[in-house]
Amino acid sequence: MTDLLTGPEDMAFREEIRAFVAANLHPETRAKVARGAPLAREDFARWQRSLFERGWVAPAWPVEHGGPGWTARQRLIADEEMFRLHTPPLPGFGLKMIGPILMRFGSEAQQKRFLSGILSGDDWWCQGFSEPGAGSDLASLRTRAVRVAGGWRISGSKTWTTYAQYANWIFCLVRTDPEVKRQEGISMMLVDMTSEGVSRRPIRLMDGTEEVNEIFLDDVFVPDDLVVAEINKGWTYAKALLENERFGIGGIGRSKHLLQRVREMAVAAGRGADPEIVAALAGYEIDIMAIEATTLRLLSAAEAGVRIGAETSLLKIRGTEIQQGLTELMMDIAGPAALPERESACVEEPFENAAYQFLNWRKLSIYGGSNEIQRGILAGQVLGL
Amino acid sequence: MIHFDLPSDVALLLRDTAERFVAENYALPQRAEMLAAAPEEAPRLWSAMAELGWLAAPLQEAVGGLGLTPVHIVPLLEALGAGLVLEPVVPAMRCAATLARALPENEAATALEPVLSGERIEVLAEGAEGAPITATRDGDRVMLLGTAPLVPGGAAAAAFWAVAELGGAPILIRVAAEAASVAAFRLLDGQAAARVCFDGASCAVSEAVPDCAGAALDFGTDMGLVGALAECSGLIDALYRATLDYVKLREQFGRPIGRFQAVQHRMADMFIAREEARSMLHLAAEALESEDAGFRARLVSAARVKIADNARRALRDAVQLHGGMGVTDELAVGHMVKRLLVLTQLGGSRGAHLKRFRDTA
Ligand SMILES: Cc1cc2nc3c(=O)[nH]c(=O)nc-3n(C[C@H](O)[C@H](O)[C@H](O)COP(=O)(O)OP(=O)(O)OC[C@H]3O[C@@H](n4cnc5c(N)ncnc54)[C@H](O)[C@@H]3O)c2cc1C
Repeated sequence: MTDLLTGPEDMAFREEIRAFVAANLHPETRAKVARGAPLAREDFARWQRSLFERGWVAPAWPVEHGGPGWTARQRLIADEEMFRLHTPPLPGFGLKMIGPILMRFGSEAQQKRFLSGILSGDDWWCQGFSEPGAGSDLASLRTRAVRVAGGWRISGSKTWTTYAQYANWIFCLVRTDPEVKRQEGISMMLVDMTSEGVSRRPIRLMDGTEEVNEIFLDDVFVPDDLVVAEINKGWTYAKALLENERFGIGGIGRSKHLLQRVREMAVAAGRGADPEIVAALAGYEIDIMAIEATTLRLLSAAEAGVRIGAETSLLKIRGTEIQQGLTELMMDIAGPAALPERESACVEEPFENAAYQFLNWRKLSIYGGSNEIQRGILAGQVLGL
Repeated sequence: MIHFDLPSDVALLLRDTAERFVAENYALPQRAEMLAAAPEEAPRLWSAMAELGWLAAPLQEAVGGLGLTPVHIVPLLEALGAGLVLEPVVPAMRCAATLARALPENEAATALEPVLSGERIEVLAEGAEGAPITATRDGDRVMLLGTAPLVPGGAAAAAFWAVAELGGAPILIRVAAEAASVAAFRLLDGQAAARVCFDGASCAVSEAVPDCAGAALDFGTDMGLVGALAECSGLIDALYRATLDYVKLREQFGRPIGRFQAVQHRMADMFIAREEARSMLHLAAEALESEDAGFRARLVSAARVKIADNARRALRDAVQLHGGMGVTDELAVGHMVKRLLVLTQLGGSRGAHLKRFRDTA
């Protein structure tokens, strides 16, 4: 695998990351990530604790809020090395979504109250944007918040809420003014999951996991101090949130990790030298290189002051296509060995998760703005069509 | 010479019966209940299916069959595929078709009677690619050595017909389940399978069934492939129809998502995938009637490559167009996707079928 960032400083930085991971990553977690097995809360939690103690848990946060002060280039390197060494990718709902929003728009009191818990992992956040009727068309959301003394009362339901079963907080988009243009009547609120009126139904996915949930909000009280910044400005904050870390959405580290796993699996299947597979893997390596080069090119333009907007949608589209293509290749290399139910006693290592990962990763082109929506954004906002 | 006759009345009758059967017995909650059972438990609807004549349908009358040609049973199998049926109909058909050719008629009739009546399940068991089950003679007995790693329908089978090599020639040996070591499990689509180890199993030399130059096994293999392809074709059609309904119903941005051109193009592609699959399936089913094994192999492999490719396209599109709903366990779509993955991974890789296609030119 060709790495593009390999200057002397880059290499020293890589060494630093490697030493830390070697000393701190729990072997059980490492083994699960290396095999593509589903991860439990504890896998995330204990890795987050290690990163937190080292001061590396929030690569993109400013130093004054607890970030490590890394450059964008260092963040890409860290991401790549961490993936390569089979660390679990931490869920981004606190660290990449609500944390940065609170830093930018939240009150001082909110920052004081929440940022440290996001860093340490003492608080686990989930994202309550999507609703049964509001997916791609998020602005059509209908969960209502009604003004009451000292705060708001929320009623409605959210869905596809990832890891809500682990979360004690959820940040929600809610409608606070039904009379105005759709985007202008939405607010963002922070809801304590233990509040009266919050309930949850797990949704089983086709790979058998239950990583998403439906959340019901039945007349849930939210005090004024848990509203993010201004009422009816939630859409602006939501858009800012989706733009966070947008140079990372190509998922280069994730793709390289997957490519490495597919290669290992080909060897395990006795097909490491099969010309068809060797060619396919080389093709994917070049695909990843193209996305990495594009990321770096956009990044240096942005650092030189060029305004980069919706162009980054291309990173999401291609990154997810590469990852989904690789899971398919992995499954085909495994062949029938990937078919036994993974709980059964007859699984064949290391192939037991290949088909499951194919199934699970269909989500990549659906969530966070589907690839159809991303192409629409590119065509509309960048190409001017 | 291939004809594209419309399905006969018999074929349509079988299909309609199957569709009704599936509607009555295979709603998702009913299916979930069946999946909760241990894999080695006898599949609940097996004897009902046998009574409907489904297993006997493709066999000649002299061995207890109904004498229908493959083209006639394809619509039935499409319906069973789309219905996500868990009973091992195709593996059992494949086994029966093999035996009907390998055994003399009267023996075949006797051997098949309890199978066709639904009294018990018998399936073929083969070694992995490059690791065949081997047979050696020891006096007047034949001893087996080897493992069949994944036998579809093997979990609740009463007996296996081990496909073994004796001095380089293929033979079939019937081994009762008690005489082998059987580990039952489910595949990711829920169907029950088994890993069967034959080490130490044996039979009298006179009971080993020679396969005249591989003719019976080859035919059975092609029959099994066409059966699985019919299931695939039924599933592609079912995914297409479910997705078409969904994009007409699901509204975003104030209109059905089927009004967006990006969605329309994907639907058009799914339609193309379905039509091609149906056509290739028909070719392969007609080719099964040919006694020219090379011609048969060539068309079956061609169909297999095309239908498996189209199944992949269709399942990706179906999930994508269902959005979040598409990745859940709550709609039939997710179950169909898993079933298609399993069907297209069994029975030989894409590369192997491309090779067989080229080699039989
Ligand atoms: C595993 C998973 C985890 C998720 N986690 C979260 C979470 O934690 N929090 C959260 O808030 N949400 C989450 N989501 C929700 C996710 O963001 C939505 O699924 C996504 O926005 C798509 O919405 P939808 O599922 O309603 O599909 P729909 O919007 O109904 O889309 C269905 C299909 O129509 C297409 N389509 C829609 N509009 C157009 C158009 N204008 N032009 C062309 N094509 C169009 C889509 O691309 C898609 O293929 C998650 C989803 C999944 C699958």
